[in-house]
Amino acid sequence: MSHQPRVVADGVSKWFGSLVAVSDVSFDVGPGVTALLGPNGAGKSTMFRMLCGLAKPSKGTVRVLGKDPRADRSVARSIGLVPQQESVFERLSGREFVTLNAKLHGLRHPARAADHALGVVGLDPADPRPLPTYSKGMRQRVKVAQAIVHDPQVLVLDEPLSGLDPRQRVDMVELFTRLGAEGRCVIISSHVLAEVERIGSRVLVISRGRLAAAGDFRELRALMDDRPLRVRVRTDRPRELAGALLVRGAVVGARLDGEDVLELDTADARALAHAIAPVARERDAHLYEVRPLDADLEGVFRYVVER
Amino acid sequence: MSTADATPAGAAAPSVWTTLPALYRLLVRTQISLARLLGIGALGALVIALGALVSQGDDPTGAAGDVATFALGLVVPLATLWLGTSALGDLVEDRLLVYLWLKPVPRWQLPAAAVAATATLAIPLTAVPIGVSALIAGAGEIALEAFLAAILACLAYAGVFVAAGIWFRRAAWWGLAFVLLWEGAAGLLADGFARFTVVGWAGAILDSAPGSPSEVSAGSAGAGYVVLVAIAVAGWLAAVYRYKRGELD
Repeated sequence: MSHQPRVVADGVSKWFGSLVAVSDVSFDVGPGVTALLGPNGAGKSTMFRMLCGLAKPSKGTVRVLGKDPRADRSVARSIGLVPQQESVFERLSGREFVTLNAKLHGLRHPARAADHALGVVGLDPADPRPLPTYSKGMRQRVKVAQAIVHDPQVLVLDEPLSGLDPRQRVDMVELFTRLGAEGRCVIISSHVLAEVERIGSRVLVISRGRLAAAGDFRELRALMDDRPLRVRVRTDRPRELAGALLVRGAVVGARLDGEDVLELDTADARALAHAIAPVARERDAHLYEVRPLDADLEGVFRYVVER
Repeated sequence: MSTADATPAGAAAPSVWTTLPALYRLLVRTQISLARLLGIGALGALVIALGALVSQGDDPTGAAGDVATFALGLVVPLATLWLGTSALGDLVEDRLLVYLWLKPVPRWQLPAAAVAATATLAIPLTAVPIGVSALIAGAGEIALEAFLAAILACLAYAGVFVAAGIWFRRAAWWGLAFVLLWEGAAGLLADGFARFTVVGWAGAILDSAPGSPSEVSAGSAGAGYVVLVAIAVAGWLAAVYRYKRGELD
C-alpha cells in the first residue's frame, strides 16, 4: 500500500482564552489505522474536532484530502465521525438515525445503505425501538454505523470502543482493521493502552496538548517495558522487606513513607512480582497492600514525555 | 465494507429536495413532546375559553379584539418561544448538532428547517385557536385578520427564537424576559414603541379588520406583512450566520 497522506496537521494549536488545549501539533496520517493515544484531557477530542472542521485551529492548518475541512463543505462527504458524546436523537430508531445520515450525504438508496451499515456493526435494522432504549454498546455501534454509511475515505473515531463488551470490542477492532486495510484512513482515539495495542500499529501520543511521540506501537511498548516502575507496599516490617528486596536486586530503590508504607522503584516489575511474596514470608512480614503507582496512562506519558 | 451507492468525494451536493425535508421532519419530531403539546395546547384552549366568555358581553367584537391582542402579545410568543429556542438549542445542549453539521449540506438549510418546524407546530396550536376564539365570540368579521396576524407573528417569533436558541445558552429565559418586558410591557403599554415589536406589527394586521379591533398597532396592515416576514428572515439569517461560524463540541 502506498503511503499517501490524507490527513495532515501542520503546527496546529488551539487555545480557549488562556487555556492551551493543543499546542503546535504536526503529523500526517495515511491509509491504515492510526491510534491517537492520550490520557483524558490531553487534547485528543479537541484535535479530532479540528480534523473534522468542527473547530478552527487558533494557529496552524489542518488538511483532509488536501482540503480545509472547516472551509470546504465537500470534505464532509469523505469523513465519517464517531463523536465521543453518548447523547442520541431520542425519537429515532437506529435505522431512522442511520438513514437520516445517509440522506444528508445524498446517497441514492439511503434505507438500503443504512441497513447495510447496521448489519456491518452487528445490529438488526428491523429493530424499531428508539435509541434511548438501546444499551450503551448498541448506541456506540449505531454511532459507528452512521459514520460508515456513506463509505468515507477518512474515519475519525473518538473512543469508539467505549461501552462495548469484550466480544463486541473484538468485532469492532476487526472492522476498523479491515477498513484500514482497504485503504481508508482510520484515526482512533483512546486512553486505554491495551485497546490501542490491538487496534493500530501506528500511534500518535498526545499529552497535555502536545504530540509526545509518534511511530510504531511496538516501539512505544518497548519504551514502556523499560521504564522504571514505582510500587507502593504496606507491610508491618517495611525496613526488613526493603533491605531484603534490595539485596536480591528486585528493586533499585526504596523509600519509607510513614510507619508501614514503602515505595519501591524497580526496573523489572515481573522480577519484583515473583520476589516480593517469598521475601515477605522469609522475613515474617505481612503484606497488606501491593499497588503499582504510575501504572496508569498518565504515568506512561509522563515517562515518554520526560524521557 | 463498501456501501454500493456511496457518493464519491467531489460529487455534486445532495439534493435540497431530499435534505431539507429530512431535516424538517427530524426537527418536528424532536420538538414534539407530550409536555410541550399539553402546555401549548392549554394556552390555545385558554384563548378559546376567553372567546366563549366574551361572547356573552355587550360588545363581542371589541372584546374579541382584546382577546386576540392578548393572544398575539402573550400566547403566540410564549408558545413559539418554547418551541423555537429548543429547535436548535436542544441540539446544541445535547451536543447532537455535530451529526448534522458534518454533512455536505448547505448551512442555510438547518436553520430554515428549524423555523419551518417551529411554525408548523405553533400555528395549529395558537393561530387556529385565535381564529376560532373570534368566531366563538361572535366576531366572525375579525376572525380572518386575527388568524393571519397570528400566523405572521408565529413566523416572526420562530425566526427570532430559533436564532436565540443557537446564539445563547439559556435562551428560553432570555426569550421569556424579551416576551414579557419587550413585547408585553413595552410593546403593549408604551406609546410609539409598538413599531419595534412583533406584537405591534401583528396588531397592525389585526387592526385592518372591521372596527379596528386591535389595542396596539404599529402601522398599516401591508407594512405589517412585510415587516413580520422580514423579522422571520432576519432571525433565520442570524441563525445561519451563527451555524456557519460557530464551533461545535
